[in-house]
Amino acid sequence: MSVLAIRDLTLSFRLWSGPVEVLHGISLSIARGERVALVGESGSGKSVTARIVLGLLQDQSGARIGGRVEFQGRNLSGMSARERRALRGRDISMIFQDPTSSLNPVFRIGGQFREVLARATPGISDTKARATATGLLEEVAIHDPARVLDSYPFQLSGGMNQRVMIAMALANRPSLLLADEPGTALDVTVQAQTLDLMRTLVDDHGTSVLFISHNLGVVREFADRVYVIYRGRIVEEGPTRAVFEHPGHPYTRALMAAQPNLTGGGLPRIPERDPSFLAPLVVHGDRT
Amino acid sequence: MILVLRSLSKTFETGQHRVQALSDVTLEVAEGECMAIVGESGSGKSTLANVVLGLYPPTSGEITFEGEPLPAQRTLAHRQAIQLVQQNPASALNPRRSVAASLRLALDVHGIGEPRKRRARVEELLGDVGLDPSYATRAPAALSGGQRQRVAIARALACESRLVVLDEPTSALDVLVQAQVLRLLDELRTKRNLTYLFITHDLAVVRNIATRVAVFQKGRMVEIGPTETIFSAPSHSYTRSLISAVPVVTPEEFAMRERLGGRS
Repeated sequence: MSVLAIRDLTLSFRLWSGPVEVLHGISLSIARGERVALVGESGSGKSVTARIVLGLLQDQSGARIGGRVEFQGRNLSGMSARERRALRGRDISMIFQDPTSSLNPVFRIGGQFREVLARATPGISDTKARATATGLLEEVAIHDPARVLDSYPFQLSGGMNQRVMIAMALANRPSLLLADEPGTALDVTVQAQTLDLMRTLVDDHGTSVLFISHNLGVVREFADRVYVIYRGRIVEEGPTRAVFEHPGHPYTRALMAAQPNLTGGGLPRIPERDPSFLAPLVVHGDRT
Repeated sequence: MILVLRSLSKTFETGQHRVQALSDVTLEVAEGECMAIVGESGSGKSTLANVVLGLYPPTSGEITFEGEPLPAQRTLAHRQAIQLVQQNPASALNPRRSVAASLRLALDVHGIGEPRKRRARVEELLGDVGLDPSYATRAPAALSGGQRQRVAIARALACESRLVVLDEPTSALDVLVQAQVLRLLDELRTKRNLTYLFITHDLAVVRNIATRVAVFQKGRMVEIGPTETIFSAPSHSYTRSLISAVPVVTPEEFAMRERLGGRS
């Protein structure tokens, strides 16, 4: 059974100027332990998809959601706000792009960590929380967890904060991790370490990941399977290797060609928009 | 040499803290070059850009532009000759001013061309950066990110600048848009013999647009050379680790990374 199954998901916002269609019926699924990437440019609908899975858009007035989102076989749209809230931080967690602004600047890491642990273990004692947090920080290769727990986020580097975020996101052993451009705000060397770390941890715990990114290189290295999204529609899906080695959709091909190459080759001439980008979905075989 | 930096250092002091943002940087840039300044956060690359632009004076060392030493207090002529294109075009343009008004202001401030010909000049500039003249009346908010960056580039061209400091000019753009803006920059440089100081952390972009590369680490220049050499035979270990850390896509790139000794 899939951990996450999205079928014909539509989203529109009612604005004073009329409705705006954001998602035009997207479908995707993630198996247990699978790392799936949703890749697309800004405004393609990739981040709102994550927000719907997290249950954050359902309660927003003006947002109209259609289709089905099933988490471990349960329909998210049928749940009450309270039930959805209970999933967050326990069964589904999220890592955002900018770690430093995701942490509260006026509380020490230790206190924020305790709050996360209390989601799964209400009334956890301070000593127990600290001991657990110490272990979790060691897991993300932080060698002096005591100092980090006593620090405020602004006292730590971006890379360190991102590790703290990863440790927190995985603290309650969620079955699904949503990662929205993790590492984009970090330097390349730190980004590479962070992604390696994340991969090892989700492998160890069998966590499923929905990985949202515009960076093809990062997706190529991290994901098992890829969905390419363009203006609210999935245009191509398949195993990472297949999609990267034999991109079938005109939009995917344009994306790959536009990516500057580390081995050179010059600057390609690619249209920013093209009617062919709206061609029908391309699906690669060998689905797991 | 259009730009020469000699033993340039910059130290910031705030109370107890002393940060050496640039230490003893010597660099010569020839006319018509695209000189890439590469490094991670804290490497000093933005400090270098700001010192060249005259936003703050160096602590020690000297900057020579077109054979003349650049003073700490820049004249209008200096500011005209050395222009900046920033990372985020949304905040680089005045949101209340139309595209034409932003470009016109640059022409007016620097007294470029006869006043009655400036309206036509604004249209020409839009054409130069691949924008339809109808965009002239629009506000920045009515443009896409790529179009805004084109306007920012047009503004730098309006000043008839000789040196353009490009501070991460495409890192806020989508990859398809980035490809076009990079092409535009490359064409403008060759067509007008412009000199670029291209500040970036994106090595894949550098590989395809720069003529030479200077690698910075913690305020020091650790390696400099022609783009080909830096990528085919990097000699400093930091350069190698920087190149190896770039997430890559094609088999050729994977092979290249393997050759450089993989990831540390």
